Amino acid sequence: MARVVLKNLTKRFGEVVAVDKLSLEVRDKEFVVFLGPSGSGKTTALRCIAGLEIPDEGEIYIGDEFVNDLEPKDRDVAMVFQSYALYPHMTVFQNLAFPLECAKVPKAEIKGRVQRVAGLLKMEELLERKPRQLSGGQQQRVALGRAIIREPQVFLMDEPLSNLDAKLRVYMRAELKNLQKEIGVTTIYVTHDQIEAMTMADRIAILNEGLLQQFDSPDGVYSKPSNVFVAGFVGSPPTNFFDCTLTEEGFLDAGEFKYPLPKDLAEALARTSTSNELILGVRPQHVKVYKQRKAEIGLIKAYLYTTEPLGEMMILDLKVGDNLVKAIVNPDFEVAEELWIEFPIDKVYLFDKKTGKSLV
Amino acid sequence: MKIRKTTIIVHIIAWSVALIWILPFLGVFMASIRPVREIIYGWWNFDPFNPTLKNFIEAWNHSMFPLWRGVLNSFIVAIPSTIIPLFLGALAGYGFARFSFPIKNYIFLTIVLLMAMPQQSVAIPLYMMMNSLGLIDNYIGLITVHSAWGLPWIILFMRNFFSTLPVEVEEAARVDGASSFKIFYKIVLPMALPALASVVVLQFMWVWSDFFLALILIYDPDLLLATQRVPRIAFGAFHVDWGILSAGSIIVMAVPIIVFALLQKYYIRGMIGWTVKG
Repeated sequence: MARVVLKNLTKRFGEVVAVDKLSLEVRDKEFVVFLGPSGSGKTTALRCIAGLEIPDEGEIYIGDEFVNDLEPKDRDVAMVFQSYALYPHMTVFQNLAFPLECAKVPKAEIKGRVQRVAGLLKMEELLERKPRQLSGGQQQRVALGRAIIREPQVFLMDEPLSNLDAKLRVYMRAELKNLQKEIGVTTIYVTHDQIEAMTMADRIAILNEGLLQQFDSPDGVYSKPSNVFVAGFVGSPPTNFFDCTLTEEGFLDAGEFKYPLPKDLAEALARTSTSNELILGVRPQHVKVYKQRKAEIGLIKAYLYTTEPLGEMMILDLKVGDNLVKAIVNPDFEVAEELWIEFPIDKVYLFDKKTGKSLV
Repeated sequence: MKIRKTTIIVHIIAWSVALIWILPFLGVFMASIRPVREIIYGWWNFDPFNPTLKNFIEAWNHSMFPLWRGVLNSFIVAIPSTIIPLFLGALAGYGFARFSFPIKNYIFLTIVLLMAMPQQSVAIPLYMMMNSLGLIDNYIGLITVHSAWGLPWIILFMRNFFSTLPVEVEEAARVDGASSFKIFYKIVLPMALPALASVVVLQFMWVWSDFFLALILIYDPDLLLATQRVPRIAFGAFHVDWGILSAGSIIVMAVPIIVFALLQKYYIRGMIGWTVKG
């Protein structure tokens, strides 16, 4: 059981900087998800921790040990690959036993530990099968079992659920989370799926183009995004954004509408932003939609573009000038051609347009 | 069921090509199982037709150049000449597929170019070199030359095969605690079984069927290989004995066919089912 510390981890592939000065600490027994779009460097960072890539700069600590110069086998980590990477010519038993054989564990003990892990993952009856005789979900469990059996200090998982069908993935999400808590092993999990990240993680490290964007709890990255990228990447449907200018009267001028700001907030924004060019963000869940104009100020006229009914809720696609705004309403909401929308002041995000950083 | 016109045409072409190969073989086979006087006017005359194994027995136990000895000698040469380059070629091919080192591509290109070299062009230097090393009439010399000659294509073949194997499986083994050598023989080689079987079949067949290198390097009548004995057993005092010649040819031919038959399970299985799809 151990913490994992990265200090200024940098990995380049030729001209491309895959991971750029990544620094973070994963606590003992914590479940941390590296979340990001493809090419964000999340898998590269994981492979550096595993020892499969050699970092160009920076330090990696597992426990309190500096591991940069250690071979993968000497780092006491176990990894689950996206393709499972089972040994195709070995039976499930042999697959599970392989890490123990490498560690020169006595034969009798290997047998006991394989049985125990097979019991834990409910695959006792599969032990004599070859990987090609297993379903995707079963292969996935063998891959997990091969990681667990070593009783390593750290689990590294590279999109382990992405090859499963949607239903099984939802099921395995809970299974994995529960298993991790049960065994209590520090886990770093890589995914591009924000729902996986939100549902499983103790903390999420969001990466984009090799740079750490935010490292926070699921609630933190959702409700307090540190920049435009995080606000746009986490949450579904994604956050609505408007380019706007902060006027001297304390309005945000988005062209199509003017958004009034409380005086102290307007002053704070003027102080902290690099220019008066800002980005206003609001989640579809937080957009309020009215059929009639209820107040003189603060409401924005919008035209219905289309509706996306989802059963338990409905997404309205609204046109405000040239901008498309998504808003979530109840499925029984009576739509009209012309609607009025409101962005509650306590729910909006404000970002500096130049730096992309959150200003509130 | 309607048979399409193209299917018929393809079948006709295939059968025509097959006949070109089969007819001469059939001729040799007929000559081997019948007395010389029956085939002297063409093997396709079946009147009279008295099949016999006499030719085979005479070829096998020939008084001066017994073929059994040649078959034995050929095995003594062909087995190590298959295993040695298989082992070295697989190791080198794995190195080229998975590791990076300076001038790797130039070395690889050189190896590929070596495949284009005709044996005839090096016959004389080869003889002189082996002679000065005292390896004429010595199987170690012949096995060395066969192994060396097989290496380029085996390296190319194995490297290409290893490149198709999913690297993640090897990475998983690395994280699981296996050394590079253990990964090679416990994970990579078993996964490469179909390719190894193909190498065994082809390399064995070429070494077994070789006549040219043996002709340069082996002269001692006791050491002559099977292929070298076939022309010798046919010459009687006054005539060529086509029956014995044909029987000898078939005996020599049969061995690589048996090897192929034994390994074809792996050869044909190819890679299907050997790597796990995601």
